[in-house]
Amino acid sequence: MRILHFQLNGDDAEVAAPDHWTLLEVVRYRAGLTGSKQGCDKGDCGACTVHVDGRSVLSCLTLAADIDGRQVTTIEGLSNVDGLDVVQDCFDGAGALQCGFCQPGMMMAARQLVTENPEATREEIKEALASNLCRCTGYTKIYQAVEEACRRQRQCTTERAGGAP
Amino acid sequence: MLRLPRFRHETPASLEEAAALLSEHKGRARLLAGGTDLLPNLKHGIEEADVVVSLGRVPELNRVRETEGGDLELGAMLSLEALASDALVRKRYPALSVAAGLVAGPHHRRMGTLGGNVCLNTRCVYINQTHFWREALGYCLKKDGEACHVVKGGKRCVAAASNDTAPVLTTLGASLRLRSQSRGVRVLPIADFYVQDGVYNKALEPDELLESVLIPMPQPGLHSAYKKLRPRDSIDFPRLSVAVAFRLESDVVRDLRVVISALAARPLMLKKVGDLSEGRPLNDDLLDELGSAAFKQCHPLTNVDGDTTYRRDMVPVYVKRALRAARDSGLSMP
Amino acid sequence: MNERKSINRTHGPDAPFGEFSRVGKRARKVDSMAVATGQAMYTDDIQLPRMLHGKFLRSPHAHARIRSIDTSRAEALPGVHAVVTGSELPVAYGVIPWTEDETALAVDKVRFVGDEVAAVAAIDEDTASAAVRLIDVDYEVLEPYFDPQDALVHHEPAIHEGNRKGNISKHVLLEFGGVDEAMAASEVLIEDDYAFHGTAHAPIEPHCAIARWSGDGVLTLWSSTQIPHYVHRLLASVLGLPAHRIRVIQPYLGGAFGGKSDPFSHEFCVALLAKKAGRPVKMLLTREETFYTHRGRHPMQMHFRTGCDAKGRITAVDSKILIDGGSYSSFGLVTTYYSGQLLCGPSDFPNYRFDSTRVFTNKPPCGPKRGHGSVQPRFALEIQLDRMATQLGLDPIEFRRINCQSENTQTVNGQTVTSNGFLQCLDAVEEASGWKKKRGKLPPNRGIGIAGSMYISGTNYCVYPNDMPQAGILVKLDRSGLATVFTGTSDIGQGCTSVMATLVAEELGLRLDQVRVVTSDSDLCPVDLGAYSSRITLMAGNAAVDAGRKLRKQVQEAVAEKLEIAPGQVMLADGFAFDREDGDRRFTTQEAFQFAEAKFETLSASGSYNTPERGGDYRGGTIGASPAYSFTAHVAEVEVDPETGDVHVHKLWIAHDCGRAISPVQVEGQIEGSTYMGVAEVQLEHHEVYTGETAEAGLHMRPSLLEYTLPTTLDTPELEALIVESIDPEGPYGAKEAGEGPLHGSLPAVANAIYDACGIWMTKLPFTPGKVLAALKAHQAAGSSGAPNEGAN
Repeated sequence: MRILHFQLNGDDAEVAAPDHWTLLEVVRYRAGLTGSKQGCDKGDCGACTVHVDGRSVLSCLTLAADIDGRQVTTIEGLSNVDGLDVVQDCFDGAGALQCGFCQPGMMMAARQLVTENPEATREEIKEALASNLCRCTGYTKIYQAVEEACRRQRQCTTERAGGAP
Repeated sequence: MLRLPRFRHETPASLEEAAALLSEHKGRARLLAGGTDLLPNLKHGIEEADVVVSLGRVPELNRVRETEGGDLELGAMLSLEALASDALVRKRYPALSVAAGLVAGPHHRRMGTLGGNVCLNTRCVYINQTHFWREALGYCLKKDGEACHVVKGGKRCVAAASNDTAPVLTTLGASLRLRSQSRGVRVLPIADFYVQDGVYNKALEPDELLESVLIPMPQPGLHSAYKKLRPRDSIDFPRLSVAVAFRLESDVVRDLRVVISALAARPLMLKKVGDLSEGRPLNDDLLDELGSAAFKQCHPLTNVDGDTTYRRDMVPVYVKRALRAARDSGLSMP
Repeated sequence: MNERKSINRTHGPDAPFGEFSRVGKRARKVDSMAVATGQAMYTDDIQLPRMLHGKFLRSPHAHARIRSIDTSRAEALPGVHAVVTGSELPVAYGVIPWTEDETALAVDKVRFVGDEVAAVAAIDEDTASAAVRLIDVDYEVLEPYFDPQDALVHHEPAIHEGNRKGNISKHVLLEFGGVDEAMAASEVLIEDDYAFHGTAHAPIEPHCAIARWSGDGVLTLWSSTQIPHYVHRLLASVLGLPAHRIRVIQPYLGGAFGGKSDPFSHEFCVALLAKKAGRPVKMLLTREETFYTHRGRHPMQMHFRTGCDAKGRITAVDSKILIDGGSYSSFGLVTTYYSGQLLCGPSDFPNYRFDSTRVFTNKPPCGPKRGHGSVQPRFALEIQLDRMATQLGLDPIEFRRINCQSENTQTVNGQTVTSNGFLQCLDAVEEASGWKKKRGKLPPNRGIGIAGSMYISGTNYCVYPNDMPQAGILVKLDRSGLATVFTGTSDIGQGCTSVMATLVAEELGLRLDQVRVVTSDSDLCPVDLGAYSSRITLMAGNAAVDAGRKLRKQVQEAVAEKLEIAPGQVMLADGFAFDREDGDRRFTTQEAFQFAEAKFETLSASGSYNTPERGGDYRGGTIGASPAYSFTAHVAEVEVDPETGDVHVHKLWIAHDCGRAISPVQVEGQIEGSTYMGVAEVQLEHHEVYTGETAEAGLHMRPSLLEYTLPTTLDTPELEALIVESIDPEGPYGAKEAGEGPLHGSLPAVANAIYDACGIWMTKLPFTPGKVLAALKAHQAAGSSGAPNEGAN
């Protein structure tokens, strides 16, 4: 058992966990953040995707001990006082959420893409989401959601640039 | 959920510390890089560890540098994502860039490392299963048992080398820099690194760690390519993989190296195929001849899912496609 | 079965106030915000104080007798709180009351590798797993049956000893008209063998259940089930507990597709473990275990003969089907009927025979997967249709037009078709896909193919005979202006919660944010039979309209009194109640609800639905009988790599007649998701166990999401969903199903496109590249040797 110190969704977190626990187990069963899902046990489905230092990783294949001192963001940390994150809003708006079980992971993967490449083409969107299995949607509405999120992200950037002195 | 077994976790801050931990725990320690291979194997009980040594905080392992001789040294902890998008790698060794980009899915490549892929454990449909499954089978040669279910009556494990970067690095004549506490550093050509034993297919000693991969400066006119057969366009391990590298000298082939993997415990260098091509123009006749020669040398087994006859039929197809892709890819170096 | 009353079966297709304000609009789901933010609680997200974790001991043998079980070592392990074995839960159950052949844990026999033998509850999963390995079982290993042909003829010892029919699970032979005479008189006769290989549902959420007993002996079960009502009934039966002492709750559910529509071992075991331990118990299956729980699509070996006349009118269809059921019955009785009963449209034929036999084998049990029972024979039939068209030189779409049955008709097996939008579906996919420019005209190895299908919107066959409604609903109106809908329907991601909210909002003139839905809690909600047979939109939807309409009348009356107009002149829309003649004379619906509550009493209403009398007048005639049928047309465009045999499916156009799209976004989502799942079954997915006499025989070949390859984004073709609305008289505002029908045609459309691409008929699924390559080589060899072959047109 060790005490882990890390940033969890912007908060300082201090969590006790055995060495052999995964990050997924710690966020779900120690921190009580059950938004991140377990679907396959071993990195085959992507439902457990979270951000470590802003980038998507499979939390079921990440040892909790290795995130000491890092920043972890889960689906619960995407939305803030201003409301839904643009990715969450676009997934909801596009009808991309059916059973929703894969979607926390999917949205985290999409969030990284929208941040890093808001100009993403359909092909690049497919590439970026290719570790995340969805069993409900056939992915079509997910692509539409991510495209809309990219569009809004670009718009937001443009407005910010335009408004700068 | 499928849980990890109990172990102690260590986070060395330097190469020396990491090597010391390996030495201290004498084969009961496992190195953790990206986790995408080791952790599923631990969950399945295929690998066991008293201590897991995370390499994520050893700065030297992230190094990428050009040596004075023009070789490229890639730190073992370089992520496959970074490797696939590295501009210099892409320019000099496009096949390596392609292979790194074809490993598993995007998250696996972000987590997974070059060193982890080079050291990937061998795979077999009879071994990469839970303890329940393997117990119901009666276990196998690779772990806990005495029978091989691929080669009935076989005494040597044929679990397949399934790493995408290994065949490419072999064609490129790469070397591996290995370190242990007691013996210091040694550099081993990758062709001598893999051995024909699926239980453990590496010359890496239990107290050794892979520090970096050294790739020689490409000869002028070097062409390389990598082709991978897999059911899906993401996530899957290869069911067959082919790496080729050769020089084109006034339109004739020089030093062709063809390496096939996902067949047996180590990547297979098809020496005869290379020899056949020496000094000849790479036209359709030669491609057919090389394809047929490769076919003769390859005998896929049921260690990997998918029809073996089909996988064998794909050997010439993938060899030819790799050769064409390499030929048409333009000069990789001036 | 007693004659049932047909309750409130139709409210007409029209909007209550002239035009729809909620129905047919592209709205967000009412419950998806919780999903988007990670707040939605799925079963495994629930943590109860002092909760223990359960694990199964599973059989390592495919077929064996249990001589003895010794759990003493497991019980002695520190941290273990309870162990159960089969003798403690001996009551047999099954989702179909006529075939109760399962027990929660093996009582005397195990029937497949993975069959549950014992269960342990301990302080954590690791301790429970360790304890499981300390249970000693003495087995007498028996000869296993893996080949259904073998199981058909050999049955000593039978998998279910005591079964009078050996290893036969169900046999159905039905003939309508005179098949042999019609076949003999046919101009064209096509006869061939087809195979479906077996696939799994693989929802991303693994099964999970939690049980807790209150101090006064009430059992609460949370479970990832799509049939909470049947689980409730069978918990009572197996545990010997009065049903009113049990509460079943289905939390948010992470996908099901038919894979969570049986009562399962873990649901009974958590209940008993929790009772014995005196603490709550959770069992979460591993991904591997979900492949043992299975209930996936049945492998079928199908022999089909079809005939048509010189003009292309189908004269007769004749099938003989061997169904590999795996080790238990599950829904298998229904599957066996469905393999024949659901083929009699949209193409009409006057003579039909099917002879289907389901056998037990020592494999994980098969059951209902999206498009239950009919996806496999539909695959065969739609290829047969293309082959007849090809032989006659007819365009395959034209061939289907010639044979399309009309609306308001009877099928050859006595089913009543009300609305039928199949012709519009054909028009839609023909137009959208550019069919006329492409069929037979694409470059070599590229091709385009069509398929059609029909499916039920709920079934008249009630799983257990009773005279009560098949769907019930309660709606409560609050002084706050909120309508709360209490429904037993299972939202498994298909969006029925939103559909219920939309229908009630439409009736009461509310915005969607003025409706909240309480679902799937047996203490709070009236019974709904569950999410299967694509029944919810039609059945529970009619009940919702029924309840909404009752309340609407009260609200209209109360408002009419205030406005001093006739009740019929009161309009309800967008959160207001107003005078139809003068929109300025209005109240908010909150005010309107308060007037109504003052005038009448606390406002609530129930709604119910039962099916009208349907079905043929013969044994099994109600199985496959539905109040309304959906229709679908698929066009697939493919490219075949002649060197590798790889079939790349570029795109599918899918037109689906859903009657009326209550929520068009969700209908599209169902069309896209169904078709994705169907295409996955063509090439990538194969649920299979090792056979033969080797050590691995009986073991699952691909029990993980690495080996059982669900398509990723990079493997999924482009999908274009087209909605056709035929406005059915039976459905709520004309709605029919959308969740299962649009799967069927994806498989044969790809097969028919492969023929267009390279002149081969692929008949045995899955179409692995190796099989396609072999077929291409055989085709080339036949072509070059001058042997007759049909060739690409």
